[in-house]
Amino acid sequence: MQRLYKTFLIINILNGSGKDKIYKLVEGGKSLQAFKKMENKLLHILKCLKQNLLENKECHGYDKEEQQIFDLLERTLDCGESNSALLIGPRRCGKTLLVNKVLERIQHKDNFDTDCILVKLNGLIHTDDRLALKSTTSQMQLDNVVDGKVFGTFAENLAFLLECLRTGDKSKSRSVIFILDEFDLFCCHHNQTLLYNLFDVSQSAQAPICILGITCRLDVIELLEKRVKSRFSHRQIFLLPHENQTSNVHTVGDAVNKIEYYLKLPEGNKKLQINTAVAKQWNRNLNNLLKEKKFRNVIQRLIDLDNSEAMLKDFLVKVIFHFTGENLTVDLFQKELNILEEDDMIKVLQDLTVLELCLIISMKHHLEIYDNNPMNFEMIYNRFMKFANANAGIQNFQRAVMLKAFEHIQGLELISMLSNTGSKVQKEYQFFKLLVTPEQILDAVKKSSGLPTEVAQWARSSLT
Amino acid sequence: MMTSDPVIEFLKQSLPCRDSQIDQLYNLIPHKDHLTPPCIYVYGGASTGKTTLVTSMLQQLEIKHAIVNLVECYTSKILFESILNKLSDHKLDPTNPVPYARCDNLIDFISHLQAIEGLDRSVIVLDKAEELRNMEVNLLPGILRIRELTNLKITMILISDIVFEKYYSKSTNIEPLKVYFPQYNKDDLLEILTLDFDYVRKLAEETSVDFDVEFYKNYLNLFLSVFYRACRDLCELRHMSRSNFMKYIQPVVQKQCSVTDSMSLWRNISPILKNSLEVLYLRVDVTSEQMKSAAHSLELPYYAKYLLVAAYLASYNSAKDDKKLFVRNAGRKSRSVRDVKTKSKVSEQLNTQLGPKPFTFDRLLAIFYAILEEKVGFNNNLLAQVSSLVELRLLSTIGDGTSLDGQKYKCNVSFDFVHSIAKTIGFNIRKYLSDFSHL
Ligand SMILES: Nc1ncnc2c1ncn2[C@@H]1O[C@H](COP(=O)(O)OP(=O)(O)OP(=O)(O)O)[C@@H](O)[C@H]1O
Ligand SMILES: [Mg+2]
Repeated sequence: MQRLYKTFLIINILNGSGKDKIYKLVEGGKSLQAFKKMENKLLHILKCLKQNLLENKECHGYDKEEQQIFDLLERTLDCGESNSALLIGPRRCGKTLLVNKVLERIQHKDNFDTDCILVKLNGLIHTDDRLALKSTTSQMQLDNVVDGKVFGTFAENLAFLLECLRTGDKSKSRSVIFILDEFDLFCCHHNQTLLYNLFDVSQSAQAPICILGITCRLDVIELLEKRVKSRFSHRQIFLLPHENQTSNVHTVGDAVNKIEYYLKLPEGNKKLQINTAVAKQWNRNLNNLLKEKKFRNVIQRLIDLDNSEAMLKDFLVKVIFHFTGENLTVDLFQKELNILEEDDMIKVLQDLTVLELCLIISMKHHLEIYDNNPMNFEMIYNRFMKFANANAGIQNFQRAVMLKAFEHIQGLELISMLSNTGSKVQKEYQFFKLLVTPEQILDAVKKSSGLPTEVAQWARSSLT
Repeated sequence: MMTSDPVIEFLKQSLPCRDSQIDQLYNLIPHKDHLTPPCIYVYGGASTGKTTLVTSMLQQLEIKHAIVNLVECYTSKILFESILNKLSDHKLDPTNPVPYARCDNLIDFISHLQAIEGLDRSVIVLDKAEELRNMEVNLLPGILRIRELTNLKITMILISDIVFEKYYSKSTNIEPLKVYFPQYNKDDLLEILTLDFDYVRKLAEETSVDFDVEFYKNYLNLFLSVFYRACRDLCELRHMSRSNFMKYIQPVVQKQCSVTDSMSLWRNISPILKNSLEVLYLRVDVTSEQMKSAAHSLELPYYAKYLLVAAYLASYNSAKDDKKLFVRNAGRKSRSVRDVKTKSKVSEQLNTQLGPKPFTFDRLLAIFYAILEEKVGFNNNLLAQVSSLVELRLLSTIGDGTSLDGQKYKCNVSFDFVHSIAKTIGFNIRKYLSDFSHL
């Protein structure tokens, strides 16, 4: 592939525009066609894999919790029961995914469209109760009805909305399912009015509603005001990683199964423009890879870092989006793992100029000597000058240039200003703290090529 | 993906030393009917080609996109509206600029996005994305989750100078796919700056000095040998190398030497380059008036100069040393620092490094009289001079300012500044500063 590509490039460069004509003339034309065919085949494969990874709505594990939520919603839908519950789990554990899956199921029930209305709110966008109510109204398709009406209180407005849902005989009302994603953010709203009113309705028999909050905060109950808390059902569903939670990757075996699930190509699917032979070949190759010992070692290291499904999926997304070549290889995964373990800060330090790195080293020494007391430019400047004066090889810089370098370091957020030194102080005397560790500095010094040896030695020396 | 896309070849030729970044980005950006990651983080130092590459790739691949620089958006309203204007191809009427839609918050933004046709596979680019952290708290997490919130297959590209870990907060831990743009090394810079050859040839046209690429490369080598240790910013280096080149060939223009006489050329340019290193990032001409130090250009009255020097001493010496430094003994002038300071204590932090300390008006006057050779009475003129020093921001006041007693002052000038002021009145300030071990 690489070779083919090179041949192609040479042709390409030789003849910028009219290349297509030439291809047919020169011998290389054959290999170019082969290259294009290969490229095409790969593009189709990648397209399919990207689809499988990014559009995958399948939620693994959480069977018990899924049923629990489903039952809850179903009772509201079928029996008109009011309910409230919180779904709690760490970030990226699949809460939203799970709820969407349950909603999909419940929306498939015959009576859903006639008997129920779904209102989805998200704390990130519905940042106050007015916005939440506006969105609720439009999701209930009541914009026209409400238009022009003036309500005294929030409660009145909400009651009106719910009233509108009552059918002709006034005895049976459509039920409403409220999903409040990022639930904890609703707790910051003024007086928690929305939450108070929703929970209040769910407790009184005004109208059948179900409130499902989704949050990553374990302490969410503490965020509720007393009067709100007392109206909440205290039903909490936890999505926590534990031994037999299949959403977590516990062994290399688990991981390998999941990798196979995400990276396998369907065989014999006409729509995908991948012919069966190609798919079979790909899958065979994948299976061989998954069995390799070296590969399994890489995966072991990966799941030692983090064993969640989200992390594994993200990792595979990166592998696929960085994929160049014909087949998945151990190297590809190894490279991706290396990137994952890499420290971005060290890259930034390596990109500094010699002068800036010298200032960073001065800071490191300063903090060692003064026991992590804050520093200012003046101190760092003087420490650097001492070093520069003692080493003939080190260029001397003007103070103004050094101040610029210092500001650049600040811009990269390698240091940050201490807040208690007000803006009244001249910038040379403002106090800063260092945001990189001595280890990171030494690592960067080691990796920087072209650094004067005096500087490298100075960095390593302690207490100058 | 290895690719035969001619766009990539074109980009690689127009942006040298960025091959790897071009390939990486090409794999991420929505070409053909592929899905893309929801969020891409493009980061790296100044002038590493981030914005240029992202912009030209999107243009060349004819992908629908909106590019917004966060520095220009001081409210999220402006941010939202300019994205919508661009994605909806809304043309602003310059005489009456009405945006495509009014958009005050994230929720409006999302619903307007959803209303625009054909946004799947389009890209929103936010340059200087670190500014997002200073806007509404829900903005950054909302932007990072735009796909979840809109259900559109939109891609966000964030461009920034800093590492992504600086964005972590309670409200999000989404990791975008990252593309790092490392700073150019010396060889890269030489290669890129050499592209200026045509430009400088034109610049030198009038002088009728004839030179080739090698000559220009030689110059760049000299140039980088001076600048590289202090600056790796391509834009800055380009500005500096261009503006110094004419000075480099000056001796040839004046027929003092030939283009092959690299030794003379070096001797000529070396001090000039060193001088211009001092004005790095300041964008001023070394030879221009601006370079003369402010201290020289500022004409202070005679006593004001003494007052300023006294203020500096008051700010950087501790009050307990005053007596020892300024006490006048018959027959011998004030004692100098050397007598006072017995041993320099290494561990003790130097006063001059900690910034100015506040002092009272009384102390200022005492020092003023001590350093002034002649005798002047206390008069209103002195008071007026102090307030004009305050007005010039050479001194600043602290405290309530209602009574003269409560008022405290601080001296704001640097040592270099006060040093040159002191020189004009023939006063050796170093002798009277309690820490000068470091100079
Ligand atoms: N059990 C699972 N099965 C399949 N995919 C999962 C699972 N858990 C998480 N993921 C994947 O992890 C990513 C995050 O999931 P999701 O957004 O649902 O998490 P969340 O708990 O709602 O996170 P947050 O607290 O940040 O809102 C998604 O890409 C999802 O596909
Ligand atoms: Mg979620």
